[in-house]
Amino acid sequence: MGKLSRLLLIITFALSFTSSAFAVVIASWGGAYTESQKLGYGDPTAAALGVPVNWVDYAGGLSEIKAQKEAGAITWDIIDVYAMDTINGCDEGLFVEFDFDKDFPPAPDGTPASEDFFAPMPSKCAVGNILYSWNYAYNSEKIGSKKPKTIEDFFNTKKFPGKRAIYKTAQTNLEIALAADGIKPGKGGAKIYEALETEKGLKRALDKIKKLCTDPNGGCVFWNSGSQPPELLMSGEVVMATGWNGRFFNATVGEGAPIVQVWDAQGLDYEYFVLVKGHPNQADAMKALAMMTNTEMLAGSAKYIAYAPYRKSSIAIMEAGEPWYKDGKTNMVPHMPTAPGNTKNYFLVDPIYWADNGTEIGEKWEAMKAGL
Amino acid sequence: MNNETQKILTTDGIPLEESLKKAEKKNKIKAFLLVAPLLLFLIITYIFPIGEMFFRSVDDSMITKWLPKTFKTMEKWDGKELPEEKVFEAFYQDYKILVEEKEHGKLATQLNYEKNGFKSILKKLARKMKKFEEGNYKEQIMAVHKRWTQVEYWRAIKRRAPAYTYSKYLKGIDMYENEDGKIVQVPEDRRIHKILWMRTLNIALGVTILCFFMAYPIAHLLAILPMKYSNLLMICVLLPFWTSLLVRTASWMILLQQQGIVNDFFVLTGLVTDDNRPEMMYNKTGTFIAMTQILLPFMVLPLYSVMKTISPSLMRAGKSLGASPMIAFFKIYFPLTIPGIGAGCLLVFILAIGYYITPALVGGASGSLISNQIAFHMKSTLDWSFASAMGLMLLTGVLVVYWIYNKLVGIDNIKLG
Repeated sequence: MGKLSRLLLIITFALSFTSSAFAVVIASWGGAYTESQKLGYGDPTAAALGVPVNWVDYAGGLSEIKAQKEAGAITWDIIDVYAMDTINGCDEGLFVEFDFDKDFPPAPDGTPASEDFFAPMPSKCAVGNILYSWNYAYNSEKIGSKKPKTIEDFFNTKKFPGKRAIYKTAQTNLEIALAADGIKPGKGGAKIYEALETEKGLKRALDKIKKLCTDPNGGCVFWNSGSQPPELLMSGEVVMATGWNGRFFNATVGEGAPIVQVWDAQGLDYEYFVLVKGHPNQADAMKALAMMTNTEMLAGSAKYIAYAPYRKSSIAIMEAGEPWYKDGKTNMVPHMPTAPGNTKNYFLVDPIYWADNGTEIGEKWEAMKAGL
Repeated sequence: MNNETQKILTTDGIPLEESLKKAEKKNKIKAFLLVAPLLLFLIITYIFPIGEMFFRSVDDSMITKWLPKTFKTMEKWDGKELPEEKVFEAFYQDYKILVEEKEHGKLATQLNYEKNGFKSILKKLARKMKKFEEGNYKEQIMAVHKRWTQVEYWRAIKRRAPAYTYSKYLKGIDMYENEDGKIVQVPEDRRIHKILWMRTLNIALGVTILCFFMAYPIAHLLAILPMKYSNLLMICVLLPFWTSLLVRTASWMILLQQQGIVNDFFVLTGLVTDDNRPEMMYNKTGTFIAMTQILLPFMVLPLYSVMKTISPSLMRAGKSLGASPMIAFFKIYFPLTIPGIGAGCLLVFILAIGYYITPALVGGASGSLISNQIAFHMKSTLDWSFASAMGLMLLTGVLVVYWIYNKLVGIDNIKLG
């Protein structure tokens, strides 16, 4: 049975195999984000190494690479994944484990790679490329004279009546619920996750969301693709929406929309690259990966999108080169989720917590949603 | 001699019976060869994957192989209180081998499906284990993390002992087998699958009924109108059918949202006040509207093809024999369209029950269906055996509907054209 299915999968993937054998193939999320990756570091790396770098879009998750692996017909070299997926994929043996200081170049001042990263990697298979933020925003033309400033305001339906758009799964929603319920995040949000580890804390967070969604003055719309929050705000469907800072930035600076971001209790989250184990092209792919994640290259991608490079040393390059944004007049550093003005109150989304408890919380979350 | 002469011979001297048999056999082989590609195709793309899915959903032999000693020592453990030192020691030894072979991550993933929270404590154990001293493993393991002192985690390991299991199916209906071997429901705040099953069934049935009531007049009109008009109408039915599913779903979102065109129109005409706009999107209403529109052609086309073959003279004959139009319709026309109704309803229902994108986009909080849950386990948790089990349950559901239909209407009574 196993052999035949392998054969079948091989056939399927042989048919879908379209990229050239001598190119490094990177699977990423598509849209403006992949555009920033391609222009920021993909193309420069390809030019420097003389190896074509091709980008393919995928919708996240590890199912595709797992199927490619089981079929023995791997077509992706590098994948852009969430933190949780690096942990799961590393555990499943899908990805190559790194020795960070040996595999990746140091910062220009000689700081070893592992100390130059903004935060330690969630698994040995991951190398970070950006930090992005889960924050919330409002439409300044529709909100009225009072403007929301804190995370409590997001849940305050008396002061700001109207529906809220929140992400469709529990991730980051529980964190902001507790932050708004009076738990100080502490260093990197440790206090929040401590509370969420307990049954009581988890219930408290779920109840807070439930209260917001069932409130006649409130109510929830659940978004599932990053383009939705700005759209929902612009159409007036909701008064406030959580979302990814890069999307809000694009709407405001790129398209001139009257959207204002609130950085209180923002959730810093990461994107990572992983190197797929067992591809014949692995050596080339490793070279490309090491170059793409060096200080300069990562700074390059921030020219096109408001996500922060994973290396601390990249910020210096950006500061020196301001205005860094591609339009040539916007200073980029203050828009970074890691900028001091934006990190007065923040938490780091804990991939280990979600890898551990994701399924069970997912069930409770869906049960809560079903009761709305 | 007598017998020989009685048999009829063909011109070349072979008995007719044999010759016929030969010819028939040839024909049979020919017929078989003609269907062989299709048969092969079905076996490869349908029967085999379903078999594989079934196997995946019950196979649990990996863990049995990974923790042989643990399960052996666990046989005598009743699961009431924490197991003895022996079990801890066996677990330590099994796990040590797994860590050396770098297979421990997979074990963590598998056990995390059974009980959440295993991932981090197994990793922590792998790190701390390097400094373990010989003997008294119970205390050493329990010192790693407080979860190791909780009996539920050890029960969860024991539950994974058999090489084949139906537990994934139980999980699919929010049940599990507890330590006494009784099948009980999971805690109330985690009962999600039953809700999703009911909701899926509810929406699939609702959409089928809506589709039927809307498609029947359209198909009838298509069948009786002169060619000139019916072609135009046909294009109106088919154009959306050729448009991308995502485009149609997105258009509905633009039309139906609270600040959308339909609501604007309502306010303009004074049907509702501006601050009292009805919610037609991100809830069940939106799901029903969008799915009905998207699946409508699947109902119209089989109905149309059946209605086209009904001779208008039948109705005329009925009327000339004294039936009112109503009676003529219900006694003559309607029964003749039943094969088309059957085909259309089955088609729409089966498509609706596995629908995925549209409910995810327009369904809002109450819009996630069982297919979304399957996708979640396929893509995020990688629990493919659970996804397989739920997929098979869905398939069984469809087969049951098919069976009921067969009993009620008869499957020969189905017609796509």
